Amino acid sequence: MNLGPLSRLTQRGVTQEDVVITHEDVDRAHDRVRVSAARAQRGTFSKFRLLWLLVGPGILVMLGENDGPSMISYAATGARFGIGFFIPFVILTFCMAIVVQEMTMRLGSATHRGHAELIFDRFGPFWGWFSMIDLGIGNFLTLITEFIAIRAGLGFFGVPPWAAVLSALVFLCLAVMMHRYWTWERTLLAIAVFNLIFVPVALLTHPNWHSVGSALITWKPLPGGLSQDTLIIVLADIGATVTPWMLFFQQSATVDKGLTRKDIHLGRIDTVVGAALAAVAAVATIIATAPLFAHHMTAENFQGAEFAQALQPLIGRFGAALFALGIVEAGMVASVTISISSAYAFGEVVHRPHSLNLPVAQGKAFYTVLFLCAATAGAIVLIPGLPLVYVVLLVNVVAVLAMPPALVFLFMLANDREVMGDLVSPTWANILATCVVVFLTLAGLLFGLSVIAPNLFAFIGGK
Amino acid sequence: MPSKDKGHSSITSSDQEMVLSSLEPEQLAGLKKHLIPRRHLKGPEKFVMWSLRIYLLFMIVVVIYQVWASLH
Repeated sequence: MNLGPLSRLTQRGVTQEDVVITHEDVDRAHDRVRVSAARAQRGTFSKFRLLWLLVGPGILVMLGENDGPSMISYAATGARFGIGFFIPFVILTFCMAIVVQEMTMRLGSATHRGHAELIFDRFGPFWGWFSMIDLGIGNFLTLITEFIAIRAGLGFFGVPPWAAVLSALVFLCLAVMMHRYWTWERTLLAIAVFNLIFVPVALLTHPNWHSVGSALITWKPLPGGLSQDTLIIVLADIGATVTPWMLFFQQSATVDKGLTRKDIHLGRIDTVVGAALAAVAAVATIIATAPLFAHHMTAENFQGAEFAQALQPLIGRFGAALFALGIVEAGMVASVTISISSAYAFGEVVHRPHSLNLPVAQGKAFYTVLFLCAATAGAIVLIPGLPLVYVVLLVNVVAVLAMPPALVFLFMLANDREVMGDLVSPTWANILATCVVVFLTLAGLLFGLSVIAPNLFAFIGGK
Repeated sequence: MPSKDKGHSSITSSDQEMVLSSLEPEQLAGLKKHLIPRRHLKGPEKFVMWSLRIYLLFMIVVVIYQVWASLH
């Protein structure tokens, strides 16, 4: 048998018997045929069609990270600090997210391997399991907070908690039961765009655009100055933008979609567009809850969509309902992407089939992990007496703390010439990535110091 | 021609040709069981990885303390 283009793999021990064509391959090939056809044509329309065919993982990961806890963190930010320092700061965090996520997209396109798979293969199981434990714990805690957000958001409309959790699980089932990556991606993209629902809510508060513009330029004011509370919000907002699950999700989704080296330029556009959309939604959420600060209301007693209840006297029932719906949407989309991120990583590590192109019969392990994670997290949310907002902020803080080790793996892989070839990170990308690692590590250390030595901030002039 | 997976009787010869002509070899699901060769970490790399691992463990203890302090 002539393996044709596969023959070069024989150097890596690939035999004819190894070359097994699956439905997953056929589905991916259909998608690639359309990409090749669009690429072969000339004209503006064809370029847009090519972009349309290739966008997805970047937008989904960014809007997926604008999840329940993230939107609640932004809402808490607006309610506690108003319009000021945190608006440009959140935009900066999305710039960091672009730097990091571009590397995962490049890795996936160049190697056709998921992030967990690459870490295990290149660094061995010792470091691989460390990485998986970080991901597993982080993903599970975050999933819990997604269900908290869904429960709180639907609670605004009088939906009981058990029904809210059940509806989220049904949504998850419907989202992944399409057995086709393309259909799943397009459906979830259509839903994820509703993250921008926070924009009309912000407009309903009649924001002071002069203050917004001034904050963007001056990074001021920061009411209360530097304090432990401020630092927790800083970490929560960073954790609302860059988290370990995003690395694993975008790389695996890039592989599942079938992106190749030729697609990297448009993959970058996908990532930047996603970050821009997510940043708009995040800033809109801060602006939307800023009136709570102006009216001297605090966020401490608000749980999820209770922000919506607090806003109701200011923006009316319709605006408050939009806000609550936005929280539900954020939780629903992220519960899907995070569950899939866990299932992808599990499949990659145990070398079981892991693709959204798989029928249930051939992807039992993949779909079982996906549903078990979600169902367990949903059940935990039904435990009465959970301090919801505190849990949500804390999960984002933990996500930031877990980021530096995850970024070092990413950094090393993206600079690994043996797997990346000529697609290793350029110097400017390495400088930016190093800055992100140092920034995140220092932010975490500062938080640690503030806990160990609470008087530190008073000593250096804060509170 | 390459073989079809068991239970994939509906995959036709034209499907197989389309797969082989439109996917890069490394994209085939069946070939992913072949591991990418292990990389041997150098001293400075091990130092950074262990440092960050210790950093993470330390910070998790700090977070647990913070939660405990808030609840009491």
